[in-house]
Amino acid sequence: MKHRGKIVFLAGVLIAMGAGWLGFPRAIYQSRPQPVNFSHKVHADKAGTKCEDCHAFREDGTFAGIPSLDKCAGCHAAAMGATVAEKNFIDQYVTPQREPPWASYARQPENVYFSHITHVKLAQVKCERCHGDEGSTDTLRPYQQDRISGYSRDVWRDMKMDDCVACHRQHGLEHSCLDCHK
Amino acid sequence: MNSTRRDLFKLVGGSVVGAFFTPAPWRLIADSALWSENWPGIPRPARGEVRTRFTNCALCPAGCAVRARCVGDQPVALMGVPGHPLSHGALCPFGLTAHHLPYLPSRLKQGPAKEAAETVSAAISKCGPSEQVAVLDLRPGRTASWTYRRAMASVKNGLYLAPPSPLGGSAAFDLQEAKTVLSFGAPLLDGWGTPGNVIAARENFRLIQAEPLESRTASLADLWLPIRPGSEEALAQAIANVLADRRGQGLGGAPADSAGRGQGNLAAVTGLTEQQITSVAEELAHNGPALVLDGGQAPAAMELNRLLGSLGRTIVARRETPVPEAWKKAAPVTNLASVPDGSIRVLLIDESAVDGYLPWGTIERKLVRDNPLVVTFAWSRQGYGRYAQYVLPTAVYPEVFDDIPPAIDSVAAAFRIAAPLVAPPAGMVNPSEFIGGLAGLPAKDALRERADAIHKAGRGTLFTYAGAQSTAVRDMNPDDFWKALNEGGCWLDAVDESGASHRFSWPANADDEKRSSAPPEDLPLVAITCETRAAAAPLSPLMSKLYQESNLRLAANHAVLNPVTARACGVAEGARAILQTRCGSAQIEISLDSGVPPGVVKVAAGAGMIDLCGGPGGHPTRAKVVVA
Amino acid sequence: MTSEKKPGKTARYGMMIDVDRCTGCGACMVACAVENNIPPAHDGADDRNGITWIRVFQVDNGQDYPNRRSAFVPVLCQQCGKDAPCVAVCPQQAVQVDPATGIVGQMPERCLGCRYCMAACPYHARYFNWWDPAWPAGMEKTLNPDVAPRMRGVVEKCNFCHGRWHAAKQLAAADGHAIEAVDYVPACVEACPTGAIRFGDLNQPESAPAQAAKNGNCFRLLEKIGTEPKIYYRSKKDWVRQIASAPKPGQIAPKLAGKETSRG
Repeated sequence: MKHRGKIVFLAGVLIAMGAGWLGFPRAIYQSRPQPVNFSHKVHADKAGTKCEDCHAFREDGTFAGIPSLDKCAGCHAAAMGATVAEKNFIDQYVTPQREPPWASYARQPENVYFSHITHVKLAQVKCERCHGDEGSTDTLRPYQQDRISGYSRDVWRDMKMDDCVACHRQHGLEHSCLDCHK
Repeated sequence: MNSTRRDLFKLVGGSVVGAFFTPAPWRLIADSALWSENWPGIPRPARGEVRTRFTNCALCPAGCAVRARCVGDQPVALMGVPGHPLSHGALCPFGLTAHHLPYLPSRLKQGPAKEAAETVSAAISKCGPSEQVAVLDLRPGRTASWTYRRAMASVKNGLYLAPPSPLGGSAAFDLQEAKTVLSFGAPLLDGWGTPGNVIAARENFRLIQAEPLESRTASLADLWLPIRPGSEEALAQAIANVLADRRGQGLGGAPADSAGRGQGNLAAVTGLTEQQITSVAEELAHNGPALVLDGGQAPAAMELNRLLGSLGRTIVARRETPVPEAWKKAAPVTNLASVPDGSIRVLLIDESAVDGYLPWGTIERKLVRDNPLVVTFAWSRQGYGRYAQYVLPTAVYPEVFDDIPPAIDSVAAAFRIAAPLVAPPAGMVNPSEFIGGLAGLPAKDALRERADAIHKAGRGTLFTYAGAQSTAVRDMNPDDFWKALNEGGCWLDAVDESGASHRFSWPANADDEKRSSAPPEDLPLVAITCETRAAAAPLSPLMSKLYQESNLRLAANHAVLNPVTARACGVAEGARAILQTRCGSAQIEISLDSGVPPGVVKVAAGAGMIDLCGGPGGHPTRAKVVVA
Repeated sequence: MTSEKKPGKTARYGMMIDVDRCTGCGACMVACAVENNIPPAHDGADDRNGITWIRVFQVDNGQDYPNRRSAFVPVLCQQCGKDAPCVAVCPQQAVQVDPATGIVGQMPERCLGCRYCMAACPYHARYFNWWDPAWPAGMEKTLNPDVAPRMRGVVEKCNFCHGRWHAAKQLAAADGHAIEAVDYVPACVEACPTGAIRFGDLNQPESAPAQAAKNGNCFRLLEKIGTEPKIYYRSKKDWVRQIASAPKPGQIAPKLAGKETSRG
């Protein structure tokens, strides 16, 4: 064949690109489901809860993050509906008073200091800006974690330092490393 | 057509080029960097709600108020409580790191409590008519101390022993009143009394420090008198002589100079000039109210206070914190020195709260020769556990539930509880329940009973830490009073209007070591211990910042010599040597400093060092240093 | 223990350390270690390779007994001005002078451990993690969540308790303030029982450090090399002031006879 070498070469390029774009993401992440099949949508619609009701701020401004068992047991001490997910939750966690081992999609490395209240209260940033439409989903996505670095896929997607810096730069708030690092 | 090796290379080459157009290699590089930074084994601090809790520090009788910053229920930082009337927000390095103590690796985790109880009971019942059962309480004045006294009152031949204290517990030094303070080596600025109180009062008085070493207190004093080691008595006598000469100015009679030495001789013994001594004496007389403090309980120094009229002015009587009436049927406090040698059959030592260790030699000679039974309640084996038959593990601060007796500079009686911030591990023994149990006394609610007795007496105020508020005890009900004490509070007695200040008597301070005038030839040096606090207390590993990772404080079993003395002993900087005294020997490491007087070895107290070098206050001991 | 709110947009945090008040107790050293998750000494650690972000040195007047007089000088990162030597030499740009606070911020997560900054720092205020941090079992529960522990191989130093600064900013945000109004004290300042260490904003004329800058008894360490540190020391003792300019050995300063020595 006339252009055999080039075709083989091109085949190599295409195979690598296919592997890199399609296969690599599957391989680099390990995933596990969340412990409870929690539906944000149900809670937003039926219970009328907003983000802040469960993902609350404490008085000193710190963010309570994913709610602890007390918050859930406050309503779900007994079954409120008829779903299997709720029954499992009560049996496995509420009754034995065991904290569900939630996996936090947005967990940043230890040396990062992020203040939710500064962004939410002072800068008026909406939850969806960084967390996407998590608050309106019907199920929780599985938690995908990078096998080598241990970071969550969400952080890789749009919560890297570059993403924070881009927004800060846009608003003229780029001062020093100490602002965001501890 | 056949595929050739060239095809393979072209395929691989294409793959490599193609790969660089995918995220894979860039991602792998980034991941490797991240992986190399997130090292396994680097702990991640736990997160949670930050809460503030309050307690009082049980590490020494200062009992400083403590504000604990907790993540959830776990203390992660301890600080003082600003505005506290006694401690004024100060906390020493030991108190600042105390939240680490529950995790000390050398901590005892279990002990044969049941077996020890049976053995002790059996031994008590088998005691001969002249044999005694004793409790040695290393921090007298607590509610637990009352439990021991009550227990020993019910046990046949029971004795309650406590180390001697400078004022006998019923009086206090009032630093706020003093204008001139003469201290014979008392570490006023390095752990004496309540540090916050001393610092708050410091601006009010002129401090004269008489001691051989340039200690921290000496370096910050207004005047340092570098006297020869062991010459404190001579200096006190010389000052008394000057004051006696001014008898006409209403200072009362002078004590007789027992050795009949003239002023010149006395001055020569101290190494000061007569003029220096006269000027100090005149300052004390004219720039009053004066106060004389002693670091080693030299009676002559305390006598100066009587001459200077300190009683009632800078040394005031202090009422005892109220005690339930039923408790007053208790054994008296006995001084160890007055116990006949070889008479104690069973000795129970409460090491869970220590003001100062007594050298084992002074205790051992009081025990019977054949098979005495010694049980000690301690957090580790490092103290008297080295000599005891049974060592029973106790909780450490901040796990303990104990009260702290008022400090020596607390003019008003005080009652403060060290409320536990963390739960002690299983298997800990509570010494007052154990000893109370021997006599059939329920000791579990002793603290509550004491608090109720204080409330019943109706005097004084309660200072709560959370709100920094003072409330009169009369205005509270007993339950609220108890609750406030447990959540961070301090009861302070009201001022004693009855004028009882002049009526207390000096405690009989038995000085069991007769000071001989000629130094023994075989022990040419004088050993002075420092850092005695570190020897008595459990230490957080972070204290290595002060002892090991810097030269700020002398590490245990390290000694400092003047270069001239070192040459005479044949040791050099950094050398390993042996320190020998009458009571034994120990390995030390030498460093040189020309600021240390010749003929003196300054040694930091380690676990065994106090046995070697004498009693509380770091009494100078004759010693010698030889090459190891 | 003072700090002031600042109306302006930028601060220059500094300290005034009163050497005459320092008793050498070491409370500042341990409080710093507690606040910043500094590990306890490794087995082989000594004063050359231990980590003490603030270290109290005992200095003396060079005389022998009985004319020896000592003083205690806490030395921490002097938070130099815009020409901080460590900033200039770092190949990783892992150090930076924060324009908003004046704090020289060391980023251990960016550091590659070349230790060039340790050589450049004239105050020896930078410390290297020769070992991985290790706490006895269970003691890791007492770590401060506001500060990240460092792994071995990186340099660290005092940064005026930025964990507390973060917490104070967060508290201000909770109250709806803008982040300018920050009110905090570092751990060493809070812990010092005698109040020898005072903290404040040099841009505020009434703050302790700003007043120290104008006080004749106040001095800075190694002033003549132009690092413009923000830590002011105060002492009435002339010989202490002499030591701050580190005269060469053998150089006799007017009121002293003999070499100054320092142990610490």
